[in-house]
Amino acid sequence: MALNPMDIYKLLPKTNCKKCGEATCMSFAFKLLNRERKLEECTPLYEDKKYERQRKKLEEMLKPLEEATETGLIVDEGLCTGCGNCVVVCPVHVEKDPKGAAVGKGITIDDPILRVEDGAVKVINMQACRRYGKNRVLCVVCRENCPTDAIRFLEG
Amino acid sequence: MSFVCPGCSCLCDDIEIVDGRILHACRRGEEIFEKYKENRAKPMVKGKEVDIDSAIEEATEVLKDSKNTVIYGMDTTTVEAQQLGIELAEKLNAYIDDNSSFCLGEFVEAILRKELPTTTLEDVRDRAYVMVYWGANPFHSLSRHMSRYSYYPRGAKRPRGYEEDRFLVVVDVRRSETAKLAKKNAKFIQVDNDDELVDSFFKVMEGKAAKYAKEAGIILNEMKKSDLNVIFGGLGLKYGLKDLGKFVEMVRKMNEVAPLYFIPAGFHANMRGFNETLFEKTGYVNKYSFKDGKGDVDFAFTSLLQNGKVDTAVIIGTDPVSSLPYDVASKLKEVKTIVIDPRMSPTARVADIIIPSAVSGIEMGGTMVRSDGARIKLEVIEERDVNDIYILKKIEEGL
Amino acid sequence: MRFSKFLKVEAEIVVARYALVSDETKSRFEPVIFFHPEFAKRSGVKEGDVVEVEANGRAVKLKVKLSESAPESGGIIPNGIFASYLTNFDGFKRFKANIEVAEGEPSSVGEIIERVKP
Ligand code: SF4
Ligand code: SF4
Ligand code: SF4
Ligand code: SF4
Repeated sequence: MALNPMDIYKLLPKTNCKKCGEATCMSFAFKLLNRERKLEECTPLYEDKKYERQRKKLEEMLKPLEEATETGLIVDEGLCTGCGNCVVVCPVHVEKDPKGAAVGKGITIDDPILRVEDGAVKVINMQACRRYGKNRVLCVVCRENCPTDAIRFLEG
Repeated sequence: MSFVCPGCSCLCDDIEIVDGRILHACRRGEEIFEKYKENRAKPMVKGKEVDIDSAIEEATEVLKDSKNTVIYGMDTTTVEAQQLGIELAEKLNAYIDDNSSFCLGEFVEAILRKELPTTTLEDVRDRAYVMVYWGANPFHSLSRHMSRYSYYPRGAKRPRGYEEDRFLVVVDVRRSETAKLAKKNAKFIQVDNDDELVDSFFKVMEGKAAKYAKEAGIILNEMKKSDLNVIFGGLGLKYGLKDLGKFVEMVRKMNEVAPLYFIPAGFHANMRGFNETLFEKTGYVNKYSFKDGKGDVDFAFTSLLQNGKVDTAVIIGTDPVSSLPYDVASKLKEVKTIVIDPRMSPTARVADIIIPSAVSGIEMGGTMVRSDGARIKLEVIEERDVNDIYILKKIEEGL
Repeated sequence: MRFSKFLKVEAEIVVARYALVSDETKSRFEPVIFFHPEFAKRSGVKEGDVVEVEANGRAVKLKVKLSESAPESGGIIPNGIFASYLTNFDGFKRFKANIEVAEGEPSSVGEIIERVKP
C-alpha cells in the first residue's frame, strides 16, 4: 500500500485555491493521507467537470484509507535519500538479519519490511512490522531515525 | 554478486542488481548505476565532433606545445589511472592538483604524516562509542555513512547499537538533518565559529571556563568510557577552522584523556586515493609542481588559474565550472582546456578538446581508496575499452 | 500584487551537498534554494516563488523550497553550478546574498555556462 502524498497531490487541482481550508494542495494531500481531511472538502474537484477523471482516480486510491490500514506506514520517496537508517534500525530486521542489516550492510533477507531499492526505501513486507496484527505494538523506531520525515504513520 | 558504488568515499561494496532493480544504494549511488548511459561525452575538438583517436592526438599536440600545463581532478577515477596521470604530469614538468586542495586534503595530509591518529570504519563500527560529526552532514554528503559504518550498525563490541552503545555529537552552524538525529545519548552543538569550540576543549582540559565548557566537559567524560572515539571532519570544519595546527594539537591533547581518532568525511569517491598516490611519489598530497619539485598554495589549480600561471589545463573526471567559484571558473576561458570525462559536464561543454572516457566502477575496474584509507576493488558491469588508462597511456606515448 | 517583490532582504547562504537535488548525469542541475521557513515568512517569500539571489555582483534566479535544516537567517543552495557562480573564492561555502522575489523562469545551466565562458 505504498500510498504517498506526491501521488495524491498530482491528481489534485494544484491551484492552491485554499477552499479546502489548507494553504496548499500539497498540505491537503498530506492531511488526506493522515485522514484529517476528506476528499469532499476539495470542492473544486466536484464542481468543475474537468477534474472528474482525477477525482475518480483519487477516490479509488484513497479507498484503502477508509478501512483503517494495517500498520499505517507511509513513505514519501520525494524526501528519501536512501540513507538506510530506517532499514538498519528496525528491531525486526536486527533480529532476523544479524549478518546484514544489523551490522549496517544492505539487508539480506528476502522478505524484509523495508528495503532501499532504486535509491529510495520501499515497503516490501508489512506483515512483519511490529505494528501489524493482533499483538501489535506502537513501534516508531524507523520514523524516529529518518531526519526528513520521509516515513510517517497514519496514526501514532 | 555485489558491486561497489563509486558514488562517494563510502564506497559501499554491497550493491546488488536484481531484476533490473538496484538494491541498497542510496539515491546518489543509484543514479550512477541507473543512468550511466545518459549525457555521455562525445569526442570533440573546438566544437566539432571527431573520432576518439583524433581527439587524443589533438590533445597530445596541444600538450607538446604547452609551456605550463596543469593536470587537475582524477578524484573519481581509479588509483591506477591516478598513477598514470601523475606520471604524465612528471613527464610534462607540469602542475598537478585535485579537489582536495579546497576540500579535505590537509586533513588527509595530517593523517599521512601521522600528525592525526586515525582508524578504520570497521573499527568504528565494532568499537567506537563517541562519534563526532564536525562540520559534516552525512545524510546528504555520504548518505549511508551512519547506517553502514558508524552510529546505527551493531558492532562486535557495541552489540546494542545506537540506543545504548553510541554517543553521537554533531557540530554545525545550522540544525542539519544529522543534527536532528542527535536525540538520546547525544549532543548537538550549534557553533558560529568552530575555533571557539576547539578553544573550549583546550580550556576544559586545563580546568578553565570557556564558551562551550559544559558541552566539551560532557563529551570528554563520555570519551573516557571507551577505547575508541572518533571525529568525522567535513567541509564545514575545514572552512570553519582558522588554524588546522591548533585542531591537530587539540586531538593530540584529548588523546591524553581518552583515545580519539580522526577520519575525514568528504565525498569524492577516490579523493583520498589521489592524495595517497601523489604522497607516495612526492611527499605532498596535492597542489604539486614537478617543475619546482614541491607543493605549495601557489600551485593549487585555483591559484594557478587566478594568477594566470598556466596555458593548458587537463581536467580529468571533475567539473570545475560547476564546483569552483566564478572568479576561478571564469578564468578557464583564458587557457586551453582538455577535458577527459565520461559525461558532457558543464566543463566539457566549454572545453577545447573533449575526450570521452569510461565510468569507473561501472565500465572500468581498478582500486579506489575509501575515506578511512581502506583500498577497495571495483567491479565492472559493462567494460569499456576507452577508459582513463587507455587515454592517458596514449597521450603519454604520443608525447 | 505583492509588496515583498520590491523589497530586498539580506540572507545568509550556506552551500552544501543536498542529496535530493543531486545530478550524477551532470546535465540538469536543479535551480533551487532552500529557505528556512522562519526566514521565508519574515521575508514574504513562499514555496514555489522564484527569487533573484544576488551576491558579489552576480545574480541567478532560483526556485524556492523550504527546509528546516537551512540556517535560520537564510538558506541553503545545493553544491553546484548556481552556488559556484555566485561565490568568490573566499566565502566559498558561506556568504551573504540579497534576495528579491522575481518574475519569470529560474536560471538554466546553459545560461550560467554562457556567462562563465562566453
Ligand atoms: S480546495 Fe482543492 S484545489 Fe483548493 S487548495 Fe484545497 S485541495 Fe487544492
Ligand atoms: S525513509 Fe528516511 S531513514 Fe529511510 S532511507 Fe529514506 S531517508 Fe533514510
Ligand atoms: S514500525 Fe518498527 S517494526 Fe515496523 S518497520 Fe518501523 S522500525 Fe520496523
Ligand atoms: S553512500 Fe556513497 S558509496 Fe554508498 S551507495 Fe551512497 S553514494 Fe554510493
